[in-house]
Amino acid sequence: MNCVEFERVLLEGEQTPEQRAHLNSCSACSNLLSDLQLISNQAKLLLASDEPSPAVWNALESRLRREGIIRRAEPSRRSFGDLFWRWRTAWLVPVAAALVIVGVLRLHHPAAAGDNAPIAKQSVAPPPVAAAVLSDDQQLLKTVASRPPAQRARYRTELDDANAFIRDAQDAIRNDPNDVYRQQMLINAYEQKEMLYQLAVDHVSEQ
Amino acid sequence: MCTRDCAAKLITVMALAGVAFAAGEVRKDLHFKVGKRPVISINNPYGPVLVRAGAPHQVVVTAILHSDKVELDQSKSHNRIDIVSHLLSGADKNSGVVEYEIQVPSDANVTLHSDTGRIHAEKLHGDVTVAGSDGPIDVTDCGGGHVHVRTLNGNVSLNNVHGHIEIMSMGGDVLMNEVTGTLVAVNSNSGKIRYAGDFGDEGEYDFTSHTGDIEAIAPALASIDVLARSDQGRVDSDFSLEPKHTPFYAKGGSAFAGTLGKAASSVKLFSFSGKIHLKKRQN
Repeated sequence: MNCVEFERVLLEGEQTPEQRAHLNSCSACSNLLSDLQLISNQAKLLLASDEPSPAVWNALESRLRREGIIRRAEPSRRSFGDLFWRWRTAWLVPVAAALVIVGVLRLHHPAAAGDNAPIAKQSVAPPPVAAAVLSDDQQLLKTVASRPPAQRARYRTELDDANAFIRDAQDAIRNDPNDVYRQQMLINAYEQKEMLYQLAVDHVSEQ
Repeated sequence: MCTRDCAAKLITVMALAGVAFAAGEVRKDLHFKVGKRPVISINNPYGPVLVRAGAPHQVVVTAILHSDKVELDQSKSHNRIDIVSHLLSGADKNSGVVEYEIQVPSDANVTLHSDTGRIHAEKLHGDVTVAGSDGPIDVTDCGGGHVHVRTLNGNVSLNNVHGHIEIMSMGGDVLMNEVTGTLVAVNSNSGKIRYAGDFGDEGEYDFTSHTGDIEAIAPALASIDVLARSDQGRVDSDFSLEPKHTPFYAKGGSAFAGTLGKAASSVKLFSFSGKIHLKKRQN
């Protein structure tokens, strides 16, 4: 089993002897699994708390850096104002990543611990992250508010497109909650939104 | 005769130099010595970034700055080089332009970013990570590493690229020609996805869009296991596939599943409302 095969079957349930053997021999996959377990454990707390533990952000940051999704600080000369602006917008990255991860976790662990209710029952209720998404969208639009009107309009359009994809994927899942391909489409839709957040922050940080 | 030609050339050169000077353009040449598998990062908000494989252990950067509203920040630590076009107060998409042409060792890992300019990577064997916004992105003759591309509206073109490939685009079209790998994943919103190639050997090809059309052109002898579905768009195949069970309910014309040859590679084509067409290549 190689890393790609391991990642493919990572979330499918019980570990097979083949997976365990690969874990013992591959530090990258071993680290990935421990990161995901930490995120999964901590993310359960998100349901009960608005303020997740710093360990969530640390694990997310570590994971995102390894994947190349976020980069080290640029070597340009930065004023205090630049750093302050960067700090003010840096939260967008973990928020976007959290959206993706919460989406993934809700797909793979739709019920609370110990709850064996069918997925369909969980899927009927409106997504609890919807309100947060709208609020975060407003923050993203504020972040790009200083840009030329055409760019702002474009971001608005892209955000609408990503949200439309998320809505369509969610509707499709409600019709068929156990369809793993629809679940993957929802993850893809969230990843598109994460990209919008990331590119917005990148643009701010390079100015 | 020669004197007249030489004079004409000299005048031309001086005129061009004068134009460049008048426009405030500044050319900078940077040379770096590097070890094996260096990491090169170029962050250029406005303007093209062209990267090609050059001599080993050397990174050669040619940058043309279009005004004094933009500076070049460079840093080198160990085997890593970072170059940033640093926009100064008042810089905009015209005055902030920097044109980069860069030669790197073929085993370099490169990270390239430009909002408006073209990004081009050629003949590289390391990891290629590209982020764009509106400018076109093309990756040519690369293999052996990961190729990650993210863009909002820039068209993405991959030619003769092999490896682990992940592309995400909102509105930009994604065109792939002779692209193979263990994983080739494209996630698009409204941009079209077009693949032409043989799907390699034992790879996984996942193409997903929200509204963009997906077209895959394969030779008659391709060895693939295909699953295709569009919730609201038309789905067609030119091939007579060996039928297989679909893991979901499929209305006629909205999905198909089947195998071709030894089914070595997995091909998944999914869209919400885009059309999907698996075409047979005409030889």
